[in-house]
Amino acid sequence: MTTIQTENLTKNFGDLCAVDNLCLTVDKEIFGLLGPNGSGKTTTVLMLTTLLSQTKGNASICGHDTRREPEKVRDCISYVPQDMAVDTTLTGRENVLIFARLYGVKNPKDRVDELLAVMELTDRADDLAKTYSGGMRRRLELAEALVHEPEVIFLDEPTLGLDVGARKNIWNHIHALNKKGMTIFMTTHYMDEADQYCDRVGIINHGKIAALGNPSELKAHLMKDVITVTIDGEYAPTQLDGTLFVGQLGDTISFTAENGREALPLLVDALNHAGNRVKAMSLREPSLDDVFLQSVGKQEEPKGFEEWKFRMMLHHRGGS
Amino acid sequence: MEVPDDAPPPGWIVKGVTTYIYRDFIRWIRYRVGVVSTLVLPAAWLLFVGLALPVKFTGNYLDFITPGILVMTILTAGISSGSLLMFDKILGFLNKFLAMPVPRESILVSKILFISVRGLIQATIILILAVLIGATIMNPLQYGLTYLILFLFGVFISAFSTTVALYLDDHDSFAAFTAMVTMPLFFASSALMPYDVMPGWLSAIAHVNPLSFAIDAIRDVGAGSIPVIPIVLLLVFTAVVVVLSGYVFRKVTV
Repeated sequence: MTTIQTENLTKNFGDLCAVDNLCLTVDKEIFGLLGPNGSGKTTTVLMLTTLLSQTKGNASICGHDTRREPEKVRDCISYVPQDMAVDTTLTGRENVLIFARLYGVKNPKDRVDELLAVMELTDRADDLAKTYSGGMRRRLELAEALVHEPEVIFLDEPTLGLDVGARKNIWNHIHALNKKGMTIFMTTHYMDEADQYCDRVGIINHGKIAALGNPSELKAHLMKDVITVTIDGEYAPTQLDGTLFVGQLGDTISFTAENGREALPLLVDALNHAGNRVKAMSLREPSLDDVFLQSVGKQEEPKGFEEWKFRMMLHHRGGS
Repeated sequence: MEVPDDAPPPGWIVKGVTTYIYRDFIRWIRYRVGVVSTLVLPAAWLLFVGLALPVKFTGNYLDFITPGILVMTILTAGISSGSLLMFDKILGFLNKFLAMPVPRESILVSKILFISVRGLIQATIILILAVLIGATIMNPLQYGLTYLILFLFGVFISAFSTTVALYLDDHDSFAAFTAMVTMPLFFASSALMPYDVMPGWLSAIAHVNPLSFAIDAIRDVGAGSIPVIPIVLLLVFTAVVVVLSGYVFRKVTV
């Protein structure tokens, strides 16, 4: 039985199609859903966690349909939204205990102790959560999410706003959970993290999967080398055999090449010939950023900036 | 959803409700300023309005004003129920809770019950204080009926405010809504003065104001009668608002 399976999952908000005929299978792996803001990541997660009903199509979690058996679905999942929703006037232990009671687990107190130990929070368990750092709050949320031993955990931007050490720590925990057979479905903006830790990634754009697979496969798919060129002024399109234009980000243009070292001098000539003023060039192995850029292309911010979310984020970081 | 074997085990909704109430209760008592404010505010109203205003509508103005202050306290308490839900919504707690197998309605029920009971604690302080400064002591049945009316009114108001909070998107709109509702509702009621001394237009409004409805019922209790019809009507209104609130909750969260 596949852990997560969707068939033509679609969500329309009025005229806008947020998720478009999504067909996805995720099983016992760390799956990262990547995409620009407004591409349908969160909408997909909300539908899979029974928080939003789809316009058409089906989704099933652990064999249970999200529409017909939502209670059974909720029984085998946990959802950690990106908001860092931790009750700051409660202690860490009280926070987790509330979840243990809500899930109706047996011997809630023992279970809470066990999870606080797993998440390395035992020392601080009886301190108010407002004294916790961002990383500790995230670990507390993971402890809450684990009380009923779910088969799938949905994580929305699990490392947003954390420092490098805390991010690495969270990833180690996620990795350990996956080793024990748990399916992790996450969204992220951090390409380097997705590249390093996800077994498979799906890049979603305008509600459709634009690329799907193992990060190294996806990178290999992009030919061998990536050449980035910094130019002065407008980019004039340039063609050169053996190279492929990938995308533009600000004044940086990316190309891929079968053989980067040989293509480099030829590309300079071709660029100059087309009327570009080249300031700098570099040659490197492709990263997931390049895959992302190629799948998604040039992006506009599609929806209004949510100021309160930004303020919340600053607030959380300030408190850490 | 209505598959019998898929139904949550009996008692789970109770567990959900008690756990959510436990959470809101701890959060309330840890905000010491919040506790002091909920306890001092009704006392201040009673003292300033009941003792300081030089009014002589009735024999014992304190006996007259106490029901008004009680119902106003329940009103302000009940309105904050929506505020609790609003904060859970904008801070991301609601989504976490909704993704759990515990019956979703227990979130709504817990907010309404917690706020109504907290309102009754405030009411107790007012009742004690009123007696201390010269109000007439009632018999146990009268106190029981007073609490019943206040509880029903509390459920009515908090169900109403949570329903509004479910529809609104941010806390600023909700604060604007509560300010707009609370003050006019209080001053256009029979809380401060009897109908016969009101201007005609005010009396007309006060007669249809739900606040006056509860206040008059408590005054009837104080006068020695049992206001069966107002209590039954209050029960019906409360039931309607609770059902409506539950309906909106299901609609918004699916």
